[in-house]
Amino acid sequence: MATRIPLLICLIFGVIMFLQYFSVHPLAKAAYSNILDWWQIIFAFTLLVGAAGFMKNSLKSISFRKETPYKTIALLGLVMMPILALAGGTRIGSPFLWVFENIQAPMQATVFSLLAFFVASASFRGFRARTVPAAILLVAAVIVLIGRVPITELLSSTFPKVTFWIQNYPSMAARRAILIGIGLGSMTTALRVILGIERTYLRGE
Amino acid sequence: MDRLRVRWIIFSSLFIVVVLSYLITLRIETTPSPEVRRAFDYLENLPDSSVVMISFDHEASSLPEIQPITLALLRHAFRRNLRVVGLSLFAEGTAIGYRMLNKTAQEFGRVYGQDYLFLGFKPQHISAILGMGESIRRVFPEDYSGNKLDNLALMKNISNYGDITVVISIADGDRTVQWIEYAGARYKQKIIAGITAAMITTYDPYLGSGQLYSAVGGLKGAAEYENLDGHLGGGNRGMISQTAAHLFIISLIAIGNILYFRNRKGRG
Repeated sequence: MATRIPLLICLIFGVIMFLQYFSVHPLAKAAYSNILDWWQIIFAFTLLVGAAGFMKNSLKSISFRKETPYKTIALLGLVMMPILALAGGTRIGSPFLWVFENIQAPMQATVFSLLAFFVASASFRGFRARTVPAAILLVAAVIVLIGRVPITELLSSTFPKVTFWIQNYPSMAARRAILIGIGLGSMTTALRVILGIERTYLRGE
Repeated sequence: MDRLRVRWIIFSSLFIVVVLSYLITLRIETTPSPEVRRAFDYLENLPDSSVVMISFDHEASSLPEIQPITLALLRHAFRRNLRVVGLSLFAEGTAIGYRMLNKTAQEFGRVYGQDYLFLGFKPQHISAILGMGESIRRVFPEDYSGNKLDNLALMKNISNYGDITVVISIADGDRTVQWIEYAGARYKQKIIAGITAAMITTYDPYLGSGQLYSAVGGLKGAAEYENLDGHLGGGNRGMISQTAAHLFIISLIAIGNILYFRNRKGRG
């Protein structure tokens, strides 16, 4: 019973959402709109579950004196931001927006910008023509990299053209193959879930 | 040379290259790519007061790259007297989008609720995208400031995607794919993307098939757009730094390979 009810709910909603796509009947449209509303409501509750889970894990780590400074700052951030938003609103000039713009955004941008240093280091240490396929990849990457630099456009019009060709033919062909594979895989998985064949979301059965 | 010292030299050299080149005020002429030209021409030729929806679907981490793209598109939209409806399907994009939209609107003396508005954030992006195809009011009964949409002049004749000329998704990930797959495929909504350089190849198949109308990609895309619009901003300012960093990385690849082949030859 514990697994049959979720399987039945999944089957009913899967079939309804599939059929309503082909229907213009007002009843189908109303059902579709209601399901979309419920989808958002359920998702809002999952956010609460996520926040509660994060708090629980952080408090547990603090009680075991594990990464205490980091967990304390993370918890302070989680608690303070809603308080600031509730107390002073989220409009321009509010403390919430000030903290977001002057603390959170610069910190995230800083962490993200570190990527450039690792790319530079990796390009020196790892990007080597050890084999023929690696050499082909290397040449293609260098051509695309040069083609994306505006100054090379002024020197020669060939690089941007070759870059365009690499991106629009060999690279695109590979991407399309991956996308079609993902699409077919998603459809198969969706069908398996709707029909109750795929049950890993139910306690891994 | 040990690995740590090599890293230290590379990291500090890159830092110096980027900082010094940022101080140079030289302007590099960029030829607009076909995608950027297409996006610009589309907005340029829209009738006055057309409604453009801009979705801020990105995190704060990509702000240095995303901001020039967003500002270039917003400035063009307001200069062209288009009406802008902003929203965010990524929690962090909310505050950023709200600030950028207000700041640019004020530059052009636009009035909130009449020329532009900000709907705010809605979790579960797929249901939000699909829901707005039926009714924007159902998904966003109020704007970010808590005003009822019915009380805002801009929303008077706007019900769903049928009343929106184009959706511009500003993203640092694959959220624009959901706009294409749900708003584009189901509701035939025209989509333009403003994306980070790292994501350009992800969207190439959609551009090739026409599912994505156009894309403004990375700092280079922003610089190209600014040049077309005649309003130079962060895109052009960052172009020298980006060019220098690219050339530095290319030279690192070359040096790395020269050293590799020399050592291999030495080993016999």
